[in-house]
Amino acid sequence: MNLSGSCAIVGIGETDYVRGAKESSADLILRASAQAIADAGLKPSDIDGILPSANFLSSEEIAANLGVPNMTYSVSVLMGGASPTASLQSAAMAIACGVAKTVLVTFGWDGYSAFRRERRVGPQRQQMQMPFAEVSRNYYAPYGVRSAAQWYSFYLTRYVQTYGVQPEDAANIALASRRHAHLNDKALMAGREMTLEDYLASPYIAEPLRKLDCCLETDCACAVVLTSVERAKDLPHTPVVWLGGAEGHPYPADEITNRPDLLKLGLHTAAPTAFAMAGVKPTDMDVLEIYDCFTYVVMMELEALGFAEPGGAKEFVANGNIELGGRFPMNTHGGLLSQGHCWGLNHVVEATRQLRHDAGRAQVADAELALVTGYGDLGDGSVAILGRGDR
Amino acid sequence: MATAKYTPRPLGLDREFFQLAVTTGKLHLQHCNACGHHQHPPRRFCAQCGSGDLGFVPTANRGEVYSWTVSHFTVDSGWVDDLPYATVVVQLPEGPRLVGAYTGDASTLAIGQPVSIRPEARTEDYCFFWIDG
Ligand SMILES: [Zn+2]
Repeated sequence: MNLSGSCAIVGIGETDYVRGAKESSADLILRASAQAIADAGLKPSDIDGILPSANFLSSEEIAANLGVPNMTYSVSVLMGGASPTASLQSAAMAIACGVAKTVLVTFGWDGYSAFRRERRVGPQRQQMQMPFAEVSRNYYAPYGVRSAAQWYSFYLTRYVQTYGVQPEDAANIALASRRHAHLNDKALMAGREMTLEDYLASPYIAEPLRKLDCCLETDCACAVVLTSVERAKDLPHTPVVWLGGAEGHPYPADEITNRPDLLKLGLHTAAPTAFAMAGVKPTDMDVLEIYDCFTYVVMMELEALGFAEPGGAKEFVANGNIELGGRFPMNTHGGLLSQGHCWGLNHVVEATRQLRHDAGRAQVADAELALVTGYGDLGDGSVAILGRGDR
Repeated sequence: MATAKYTPRPLGLDREFFQLAVTTGKLHLQHCNACGHHQHPPRRFCAQCGSGDLGFVPTANRGEVYSWTVSHFTVDSGWVDDLPYATVVVQLPEGPRLVGAYTGDASTLAIGQPVSIRPEARTEDYCFFWIDG
Protein backbone atom coordinates (compact mmCIF):
# COMPACT_ATOMS: atom_id res chain seq x y z
CA MET A 1 0.00 0.00 0.00
CA ASN A 2 1.40 3.39 -0.98
CA LEU A 3 0.43 5.98 1.59
CA SER A 4 1.40 8.92 -0.61
CA GLY A 5 -1.59 11.16 -1.25
CA SER A 6 -3.86 9.11 1.01
CA CYS A 7 -4.98 12.08 3.06
CA ALA A 8 -4.96 15.85 3.31
CA ILE A 9 -4.91 18.51 5.98
CA VAL A 10 -8.32 20.19 5.83
CA GLY A 11 -8.43 22.19 9.06
CA ILE A 12 -5.99 24.10 11.24
CA GLY A 13 -6.22 25.68 14.67
CA GLU A 14 -3.73 27.70 16.64
CA THR A 15 -3.78 29.70 19.86
CA ASP A 16 -1.57 32.70 20.54
CA TYR A 17 2.00 32.06 21.73
CA VAL A 18 2.27 33.65 25.15
CA ARG A 19 4.20 33.66 28.37
CA GLY A 20 1.64 33.23 31.11
CA ALA A 21 -1.57 31.97 29.47
CA LYS A 22 -4.78 32.62 31.35
CA GLU A 23 -6.01 29.15 30.37
CA SER A 24 -4.67 25.75 31.38
CA SER A 25 -2.83 23.63 28.80
CA ALA A 26 -5.95 21.43 28.60
CA ASP A 27 -8.08 24.46 27.68
CA LEU A 28 -5.51 25.57 25.07
CA ILE A 29 -5.53 22.11 23.44
CA LEU A 30 -9.33 22.01 23.35
CA ARG A 31 -9.61 25.53 21.95
CA ALA A 32 -7.12 24.86 19.13
CA SER A 33 -8.84 21.53 18.39
CA ALA A 34 -12.31 23.07 18.19
CA GLN A 35 -10.91 25.78 15.93
CA ALA A 36 -9.31 23.22 13.57
CA ILE A 37 -12.54 21.22 13.31
CA ALA A 38 -14.56 24.38 12.56
CA ASP A 39 -11.93 25.52 10.04
CA ALA A 40 -12.43 22.20 8.24
CA GLY A 41 -16.17 22.87 8.04
CA LEU A 42 -16.81 19.84 10.23
CA LYS A 43 -18.43 19.06 13.58
CA PRO A 44 -16.70 17.27 16.48
CA SER A 45 -18.92 14.25 15.83
CA ASP A 46 -17.26 13.92 12.39
CA ILE A 47 -13.92 13.13 14.09
CA ASP A 48 -13.15 9.46 14.73
CA GLY A 49 -9.38 9.51 15.29
CA ILE A 50 -7.57 11.55 17.94
CA LEU A 51 -3.75 11.72 18.15
CA PRO A 52 -2.59 13.94 21.00
CA SER A 53 1.20 14.17 20.97
CA ALA A 54 2.89 13.28 24.24
CA ASN A 55 -0.46 12.67 25.92
CA PHE A 56 -0.54 15.87 28.01
CA LEU A 57 -4.31 15.61 27.54
CA SER A 58 -5.51 12.11 26.68
CA SER A 59 -7.49 11.26 23.55
CA GLU A 60 -10.36 10.16 25.80
CA GLU A 61 -10.42 13.48 27.63
CA ILE A 62 -10.27 15.36 24.32
CA ALA A 63 -13.14 13.27 22.92
CA ALA A 64 -15.25 13.77 26.04
CA ASN A 65 -14.70 17.53 26.14
CA LEU A 66 -15.19 18.20 22.42
CA GLY A 67 -18.09 15.78 21.98
CA VAL A 68 -16.60 13.01 19.85
CA PRO A 69 -18.94 10.06 20.49
CA ASN A 70 -17.36 7.47 18.19
CA MET A 71 -13.58 7.33 18.47
CA THR A 72 -12.18 4.38 16.50
CA TYR A 73 -8.48 5.25 16.59
CA SER A 74 -6.31 6.85 19.27
CA VAL A 75 -2.57 6.85 19.75
CA SER A 76 0.02 9.15 21.26
CA VAL A 77 3.46 9.28 19.69
CA LEU A 78 6.32 9.55 22.21
CA MET A 79 9.16 11.17 20.23
CA GLY A 80 9.33 14.51 21.99
CA GLY A 81 9.26 17.34 19.46
CA ALA A 82 9.21 14.88 16.56
CA SER A 83 5.80 13.60 17.72
CA PRO A 84 3.34 15.93 15.96
CA THR A 85 4.91 15.53 12.52
CA ALA A 86 5.28 11.76 13.07
CA SER A 87 1.60 11.70 14.04
CA LEU A 88 0.70 12.84 10.52
CA GLN A 89 2.15 9.55 9.26
CA SER A 90 0.06 7.65 11.78
CA ALA A 91 -3.02 9.57 10.63
CA ALA A 92 -2.22 8.75 7.00
CA MET A 93 -1.96 5.04 7.82
CA ALA A 94 -5.24 5.07 9.73
CA ILE A 95 -7.09 6.92 6.96
CA ALA A 96 -5.58 4.80 4.16
CA CYS A 97 -6.57 1.59 5.96
CA GLY A 98 -10.05 2.82 6.84
CA VAL A 99 -9.43 2.54 10.58
CA ALA A 100 -10.46 6.19 10.86
CA LYS A 101 -12.01 8.65 8.42
CA THR A 102 -11.21 12.02 9.97
CA VAL A 103 -8.32 12.45 12.36
CA LEU A 104 -7.45 15.23 14.80
CA VAL A 105 -3.73 15.72 15.56
CA THR A 106 -3.11 18.14 18.41
CA PHE A 107 -0.48 19.32 20.79
CA GLY A 108 -0.45 22.01 23.45
CA TRP A 109 1.26 22.78 26.69
CA ASP A 110 2.11 25.42 29.21
CA GLY A 111 5.70 25.34 27.99
CA TYR A 112 6.45 28.60 29.77
CA SER A 113 4.23 28.54 32.83
CA ALA A 114 4.78 24.90 33.78
CA PHE A 115 8.38 25.74 34.63
CA ARG A 116 7.37 28.78 36.70
CA ARG A 117 5.20 27.70 39.58
CA GLU A 118 3.74 31.17 40.19
CA ARG A 119 2.43 31.41 36.60
CA ARG A 120 0.78 28.02 36.40
CA VAL A 121 -3.00 27.98 35.91
CA GLY A 122 -4.44 25.22 38.10
CA PRO A 123 -2.62 22.09 39.22
CA GLN A 124 0.03 20.63 36.96
CA ARG A 125 -1.36 17.65 35.15
CA GLN A 126 0.63 14.90 33.53
CA GLN A 127 4.41 14.97 33.60
CA MET A 128 6.28 14.58 30.36
CA GLN A 129 7.17 10.94 29.63
CA MET A 130 10.79 10.67 28.48
CA PRO A 131 11.64 7.44 26.68
CA PHE A 132 15.30 7.91 27.73
CA ALA A 133 14.65 8.67 31.40
CA GLU A 134 16.56 5.65 32.75
CA VAL A 135 19.79 6.44 30.89
CA SER A 136 19.46 10.12 31.71
CA ARG A 137 19.11 9.62 35.46
CA ASN A 138 22.08 7.26 35.73
CA TYR A 139 24.55 8.67 33.24
CA TYR A 140 23.80 12.36 32.51
CA ALA A 141 21.95 13.91 35.47
CA PRO A 142 24.70 13.13 38.04
CA TYR A 143 26.94 15.48 36.02
CA GLY A 144 24.48 18.36 36.03
CA VAL A 145 23.42 17.54 32.47
CA ARG A 146 19.63 17.77 32.57
CA SER A 147 18.44 19.95 29.68
CA ALA A 148 18.01 19.57 25.94
CA ALA A 149 20.66 22.25 25.32
CA GLN A 150 23.19 20.18 27.29
CA TRP A 151 22.25 16.78 25.84
CA TYR A 152 22.40 18.02 22.25
CA SER A 153 25.66 19.84 22.84
CA PHE A 154 27.33 16.44 23.17
CA TYR A 155 26.93 16.21 19.39
CA LEU A 156 26.79 19.88 18.51
CA THR A 157 30.30 20.36 19.96
CA ARG A 158 31.50 17.45 17.84
CA TYR A 159 29.70 19.00 14.83
CA VAL A 160 31.23 22.48 15.14
CA GLN A 161 34.68 21.04 15.90
CA THR A 162 34.57 18.66 12.93
CA TYR A 163 33.36 21.19 10.36
CA GLY A 164 34.64 24.49 11.75
CA VAL A 165 31.15 25.95 12.10
CA GLN A 166 31.22 29.51 13.49
CA PRO A 167 28.67 31.43 15.59
CA GLU A 168 28.12 33.75 12.62
CA ASP A 169 26.89 30.73 10.63
CA ALA A 170 24.28 29.78 13.22
CA ALA A 171 23.33 33.44 13.56
CA ASN A 172 21.98 33.39 9.99
CA ILE A 173 19.24 31.03 11.17
CA ALA A 174 18.35 33.03 14.29
CA LEU A 175 18.24 36.28 12.31
CA ALA A 176 16.15 34.85 9.44
CA SER A 177 13.60 33.50 11.93
CA ARG A 178 13.39 36.87 13.62
CA ARG A 179 12.86 38.71 10.33
CA HIS A 180 10.06 36.30 9.47
CA ALA A 181 8.50 36.74 12.92
CA HIS A 182 8.06 40.44 12.20
CA LEU A 183 5.62 39.42 9.43
CA ASN A 184 3.49 37.32 11.78
CA ASP A 185 1.14 38.93 14.31
CA LYS A 186 1.04 35.68 16.30
CA ALA A 187 4.81 35.51 16.72
CA LEU A 188 5.97 36.22 20.26
CA MET A 189 9.02 38.10 18.96
CA ALA A 190 7.21 40.15 16.29
CA GLY A 191 8.52 43.71 16.40
CA ARG A 192 11.46 42.87 18.65
CA GLU A 193 14.56 43.59 16.62
CA MET A 194 17.64 41.35 16.75
CA THR A 195 21.00 42.21 15.19
CA LEU A 196 24.12 40.11 14.69
CA GLU A 197 25.67 42.12 17.54
CA ASP A 198 22.76 41.15 19.81
CA TYR A 199 23.26 37.53 18.83
CA LEU A 200 27.00 37.52 19.48
CA ALA A 201 26.50 39.31 22.82
CA SER A 202 23.98 36.73 23.98
CA PRO A 203 25.34 34.53 26.81
CA TYR A 204 26.19 30.86 26.43
CA ILE A 205 23.73 28.32 27.79
CA ALA A 206 25.73 25.23 26.88
CA GLU A 207 28.52 25.71 24.33
CA PRO A 208 28.16 26.12 21.40
CA LEU A 209 24.58 27.23 22.18
CA ARG A 210 23.95 30.83 23.14
CA LYS A 211 20.63 32.01 24.49
CA LEU A 212 19.65 33.30 21.01
CA ASP A 213 20.39 29.86 19.50
CA CYS A 214 17.63 28.43 21.70
CA CYS A 215 13.90 28.20 21.04
CA LEU A 216 11.36 30.17 23.04
CA GLU A 217 9.35 28.83 25.93
CA THR A 218 5.66 29.57 25.35
CA ASP A 219 2.17 28.50 26.40
CA CYS A 220 0.29 27.52 23.24
CA ALA A 221 -1.58 24.83 21.34
CA CYS A 222 -2.13 23.82 17.71
CA ALA A 223 -4.33 21.29 15.97
CA VAL A 224 -4.84 19.97 12.46
CA VAL A 225 -7.61 17.82 10.97
CA LEU A 226 -6.89 15.28 8.24
CA THR A 227 -9.23 13.27 6.07
CA SER A 228 -9.12 11.41 2.76
CA VAL A 229 -8.35 13.45 -0.37
CA GLU A 230 -11.79 12.48 -1.75
CA ARG A 231 -13.63 13.82 1.30
CA ALA A 232 -11.38 16.88 1.33
CA LYS A 233 -12.79 18.03 -2.03
CA ASP A 234 -16.15 18.79 -0.38
CA LEU A 235 -14.65 20.89 2.42
CA PRO A 236 -14.10 24.68 2.42
CA HIS A 237 -10.31 24.98 2.02
CA THR A 238 -7.87 23.97 -0.69
CA PRO A 239 -6.66 20.58 0.61
CA VAL A 240 -3.04 20.26 1.64
CA VAL A 241 -2.11 16.75 0.62
CA TRP A 242 0.24 14.56 2.69
CA LEU A 243 2.52 13.29 -0.08
CA GLY A 244 4.98 11.42 2.08
CA GLY A 245 6.49 11.13 5.49
CA ALA A 246 8.53 8.98 7.81
CA GLU A 247 9.99 8.78 11.27
CA GLY A 248 13.52 7.78 12.19
CA HIS A 249 15.45 7.07 15.36
CA PRO A 250 19.20 7.16 15.86
CA TYR A 251 20.63 3.98 17.38
CA PRO A 252 20.61 3.67 20.29
CA ALA A 253 17.80 6.22 20.61
CA ASP A 254 17.87 6.32 24.41
CA GLU A 255 21.58 7.21 24.71
CA ILE A 256 23.49 9.81 22.74
CA THR A 257 27.15 9.25 23.47
CA ASN A 258 27.50 5.62 22.38
CA ARG A 259 26.09 5.99 18.88
CA PRO A 260 28.63 4.78 16.31
CA ASP A 261 28.36 8.19 14.61
CA LEU A 262 27.27 10.98 16.95
CA LEU A 263 26.31 13.14 13.98
CA LYS A 264 23.65 10.77 12.59
CA LEU A 265 20.11 11.82 13.50
CA GLY A 266 16.85 9.97 13.08
CA LEU A 267 16.23 12.31 10.16
CA HIS A 268 19.11 10.73 8.22
CA THR A 269 17.01 7.58 7.75
CA ALA A 270 13.59 9.24 7.69
CA ALA A 271 14.36 11.81 4.97
CA PRO A 272 15.19 9.50 2.04
CA THR A 273 12.16 7.34 2.86
CA ALA A 274 9.86 10.35 2.84
CA PHE A 275 11.26 11.83 -0.40
CA ALA A 276 11.01 8.46 -2.14
CA MET A 277 7.41 8.02 -0.99
CA ALA A 278 6.47 11.45 -2.26
CA GLY A 279 8.44 11.03 -5.48
CA VAL A 280 10.14 14.41 -5.08
CA LYS A 281 13.59 15.68 -4.18
CA PRO A 282 14.80 18.37 -1.78
CA THR A 283 15.34 20.95 -4.53
CA ASP A 284 11.66 20.64 -5.53
CA MET A 285 10.59 22.25 -2.25
CA ASP A 286 9.16 25.78 -2.23
CA VAL A 287 8.93 26.24 1.55
CA LEU A 288 10.90 24.67 4.41
CA GLU A 289 9.48 24.42 7.92
CA ILE A 290 12.39 22.90 9.83
CA TYR A 291 12.18 22.01 13.52
CA ASP A 292 14.33 24.71 15.09
CA CYS A 293 14.76 23.93 18.75
CA PHE A 294 18.36 25.10 18.32
CA THR A 295 20.07 26.80 15.36
CA TYR A 296 22.88 24.25 15.06
CA VAL A 297 20.36 21.39 15.10
CA VAL A 298 18.72 23.01 12.05
CA MET A 299 22.07 22.85 10.24
CA MET A 300 22.42 19.13 10.98
CA GLU A 301 18.82 18.57 9.84
CA LEU A 302 19.40 20.41 6.54
CA GLU A 303 22.34 18.10 5.86
CA ALA A 304 20.33 15.01 6.84
CA LEU A 305 17.62 16.14 4.41
CA GLY A 306 20.13 16.39 1.57
CA PHE A 307 20.17 20.18 1.12
CA ALA A 308 23.91 20.18 1.79
CA GLU A 309 26.83 17.81 2.24
CA PRO A 310 27.95 17.06 5.81
CA GLY A 311 29.34 20.35 7.13
CA GLY A 312 27.88 22.27 4.21
CA ALA A 313 24.79 23.74 5.88
CA LYS A 314 26.74 26.84 6.87
CA GLU A 315 26.85 27.84 3.20
CA PHE A 316 23.22 26.84 2.64
CA VAL A 317 21.91 29.19 5.34
CA ALA A 318 24.05 32.15 4.23
CA ASN A 319 23.29 35.05 1.88
CA GLY A 320 19.54 35.12 2.45
CA ASN A 321 18.98 31.69 0.88
CA ILE A 322 16.59 30.72 3.71
CA GLU A 323 14.80 34.07 3.89
CA LEU A 324 11.60 35.14 2.22
CA GLY A 325 12.62 36.04 -1.33
CA GLY A 326 15.49 33.53 -1.19
CA ARG A 327 15.58 30.15 -2.91
CA PHE A 328 14.44 28.14 0.15
CA PRO A 329 12.41 30.32 2.54
CA MET A 330 12.57 28.60 5.91
CA ASN A 331 10.37 28.94 8.99
CA THR A 332 8.27 31.68 7.47
CA HIS A 333 6.24 31.98 10.71
CA GLY A 334 9.29 32.70 12.86
CA GLY A 335 9.69 29.10 14.00
CA LEU A 336 10.32 27.85 17.50
CA LEU A 337 13.07 30.46 17.71
CA SER A 338 10.89 33.54 17.20
CA GLN A 339 7.22 32.54 16.90
CA GLY A 340 6.75 30.09 19.75
CA HIS A 341 7.25 26.48 20.75
CA CYS A 342 4.41 24.13 19.90
CA TRP A 343 6.59 21.07 19.28
CA GLY A 344 6.57 21.79 15.55
CA LEU A 345 2.83 21.48 15.06
CA ASN A 346 3.06 25.24 14.45
CA HIS A 347 5.34 24.33 11.51
CA VAL A 348 2.62 22.06 10.11
CA VAL A 349 0.04 24.84 10.54
CA GLU A 350 2.33 27.34 8.76
CA ALA A 351 3.07 24.91 5.90
CA THR A 352 -0.69 24.47 5.47
CA ARG A 353 -1.23 28.23 5.33
CA GLN A 354 1.56 28.59 2.77
CA LEU A 355 0.06 25.90 0.53
CA ARG A 356 -3.43 27.38 0.87
CA HIS A 357 -1.81 30.68 -0.24
CA ASP A 358 -3.12 32.19 2.96
CA ALA A 359 0.14 33.11 4.74
CA GLY A 360 -0.32 36.87 4.62
CA ARG A 361 2.83 38.95 4.46
CA ALA A 362 4.97 35.80 4.79
CA GLN A 363 3.44 34.14 1.70
CA VAL A 364 5.93 32.41 -0.59
CA ALA A 365 4.65 33.17 -4.11
CA ASP A 366 2.98 30.20 -5.85
CA ALA A 367 4.05 27.71 -3.16
CA GLU A 368 3.16 24.18 -4.28
CA LEU A 369 5.37 21.96 -2.09
CA ALA A 370 6.40 22.29 1.54
CA LEU A 371 8.69 20.26 3.74
CA VAL A 372 8.13 19.94 7.49
CA THR A 373 10.47 18.26 9.95
CA GLY A 374 10.14 17.28 13.56
CA TYR A 375 13.02 16.60 15.93
CA GLY A 376 12.86 15.43 19.50
CA ASP A 377 14.02 13.45 22.50
CA LEU A 378 17.70 12.64 21.87
CA GLY A 379 17.67 13.09 18.08
CA ASP A 380 14.51 11.35 16.82
CA GLY A 381 13.29 12.76 13.52
CA SER A 382 10.11 12.98 11.49
CA VAL A 383 9.23 14.36 8.07
CA ALA A 384 6.10 15.42 6.24
CA ILE A 385 6.09 16.46 2.59
CA LEU A 386 2.96 18.43 1.80
CA GLY A 387 1.54 19.59 -1.52
CA ARG A 388 -1.17 22.02 -2.59
CA GLY A 389 -4.14 19.92 -3.68
CA ASP A 390 -6.82 20.44 -6.31
CA ARG A 391 -10.16 22.03 -5.70
CA MET B 1 21.00 28.31 46.39
CA ALA B 2 23.23 25.31 45.96
CA THR B 3 22.10 21.93 47.24
CA ALA B 4 23.81 18.54 47.45
CA LYS B 5 24.59 16.88 44.11
CA TYR B 6 22.14 14.28 42.92
CA THR B 7 23.20 10.66 43.41
CA PRO B 8 21.25 8.07 41.45
CA ARG B 9 20.10 4.74 42.84
CA PRO B 10 20.70 2.50 39.84
CA LEU B 11 18.98 -0.84 39.38
CA GLY B 12 19.79 -4.10 37.63
CA LEU B 13 22.65 -4.08 35.13
CA ASP B 14 23.36 -0.38 35.71
CA ARG B 15 23.83 -1.12 39.41
CA GLU B 16 26.27 -3.95 38.61
CA PHE B 17 28.20 -1.59 36.34
CA PHE B 18 28.61 1.02 39.07
CA GLN B 19 29.23 -1.50 41.88
CA LEU B 20 32.26 -2.92 40.06
CA ALA B 21 33.83 0.54 39.77
CA VAL B 22 33.03 1.18 43.45
CA THR B 23 34.68 -2.03 44.69
CA THR B 24 37.71 -2.09 42.35
CA GLY B 25 38.38 1.59 41.56
CA LYS B 26 38.43 0.61 37.91
CA LEU B 27 35.87 1.42 35.24
CA HIS B 28 34.38 -1.88 34.04
CA LEU B 29 32.57 -2.34 30.74
CA GLN B 30 30.00 -4.88 29.71
CA HIS B 31 31.60 -7.51 27.49
CA CYS B 32 30.07 -10.23 25.30
CA ASN B 33 31.44 -13.68 26.08
CA ALA B 34 30.28 -14.95 22.68
CA CYS B 35 31.81 -12.38 20.31
CA GLY B 36 34.05 -10.13 22.43
CA HIS B 37 32.05 -6.93 21.82
CA HIS B 38 32.14 -4.24 24.51
CA GLN B 39 29.08 -2.08 25.07
CA HIS B 40 27.94 0.75 27.32
CA PRO B 41 25.60 1.40 29.01
CA PRO B 42 24.93 -2.27 29.80
CA ARG B 43 22.07 -3.93 27.92
CA ARG B 44 20.28 -7.29 28.14
CA PHE B 45 21.69 -8.58 24.87
CA CYS B 46 24.83 -8.02 22.79
CA ALA B 47 24.18 -5.37 20.13
CA GLN B 48 26.68 -7.06 17.81
CA CYS B 49 25.73 -10.77 17.95
CA GLY B 50 22.54 -10.95 20.01
CA SER B 51 24.00 -13.21 22.70
CA GLY B 52 22.69 -12.93 26.24
CA ASP B 53 25.97 -14.28 27.64
CA LEU B 54 27.42 -11.01 28.93
CA GLY B 55 29.77 -10.07 31.75
CA PHE B 56 31.92 -7.15 32.86
CA VAL B 57 35.65 -6.64 32.28
CA PRO B 58 38.00 -4.02 33.77
CA THR B 59 39.49 -1.18 31.74
CA ALA B 60 42.73 0.77 32.21
CA ASN B 61 40.81 3.95 33.20
CA ARG B 62 42.10 5.71 30.10
CA GLY B 63 40.74 7.18 26.89
CA GLU B 64 40.64 10.27 24.74
CA VAL B 65 38.29 13.21 24.36
CA TYR B 66 35.55 12.55 21.78
CA SER B 67 33.23 15.49 22.53
CA TRP B 68 32.03 17.65 25.41
CA THR B 69 29.58 20.24 26.57
CA VAL B 70 30.46 23.29 28.64
CA SER B 71 27.44 24.38 30.68
CA HIS B 72 27.06 28.06 31.50
CA PHE B 73 23.51 27.69 32.78
CA THR B 74 21.99 24.86 34.76
CA VAL B 75 18.61 23.89 36.19
CA ASP B 76 20.47 21.63 38.62
CA SER B 77 20.83 23.36 42.00
CA GLY B 78 23.57 20.88 42.90
CA TRP B 79 25.77 22.29 40.15
CA VAL B 80 25.11 26.06 40.20
CA ASP B 81 28.27 26.79 42.18
CA ASP B 82 30.35 24.86 39.63
CA LEU B 83 29.35 27.00 36.61
CA PRO B 84 30.79 26.97 34.05
CA TYR B 85 31.51 23.22 34.06
CA ALA B 86 32.63 20.84 31.33
CA THR B 87 31.16 17.38 30.84
CA VAL B 88 33.29 15.20 28.60
CA VAL B 89 32.51 12.23 26.36
CA VAL B 90 35.54 9.93 26.54
CA GLN B 91 36.32 7.50 23.72
CA LEU B 92 37.57 4.30 25.37
CA PRO B 93 40.04 2.05 23.52
CA GLU B 94 37.57 -0.86 23.96
CA GLY B 95 35.01 0.94 21.74
CA PRO B 96 32.36 2.40 24.04
CA ARG B 97 32.32 5.98 25.33
CA LEU B 98 31.90 7.29 28.88
CA VAL B 99 30.48 10.57 30.20
CA GLY B 100 32.31 12.23 33.08
CA ALA B 101 33.09 15.54 34.76
CA TYR B 102 36.19 17.30 33.42
CA THR B 103 38.67 18.62 35.98
CA GLY B 104 41.00 20.50 33.60
CA ASP B 105 40.78 23.79 31.73
CA ALA B 106 37.70 23.57 29.50
CA SER B 107 38.98 26.24 27.12
CA THR B 108 41.77 23.98 25.85
CA LEU B 109 39.67 20.81 25.35
CA ALA B 110 40.40 19.16 22.00
CA ILE B 111 39.16 16.08 20.19
CA GLY B 112 41.69 13.27 20.62
CA GLN B 113 43.23 14.71 23.79
CA PRO B 114 44.37 11.85 26.11
CA VAL B 115 42.54 11.74 29.44
CA SER B 116 42.39 9.46 32.45
CA ILE B 117 39.29 8.34 34.30
CA ARG B 118 39.19 8.68 38.08
CA PRO B 119 36.30 6.78 39.68
CA GLU B 120 34.98 8.17 42.96
CA ALA B 121 32.64 5.95 44.99
CA ARG B 122 29.61 7.92 46.18
CA THR B 123 27.56 5.05 47.61
CA GLU B 124 27.83 1.25 47.54
CA ASP B 125 25.83 1.31 44.33
CA TYR B 126 26.97 4.45 42.55
CA CYS B 127 30.33 5.67 41.30
CA PHE B 128 31.03 9.15 39.88
CA PHE B 129 33.66 9.49 37.15
CA TRP B 130 36.11 12.39 37.10
CA ILE B 131 37.95 12.99 33.85
CA ASP B 132 41.48 14.33 34.36
CA GLY B 133 43.07 16.12 31.40
ZN1 LIG C 1 28.27 -10.50 21.07
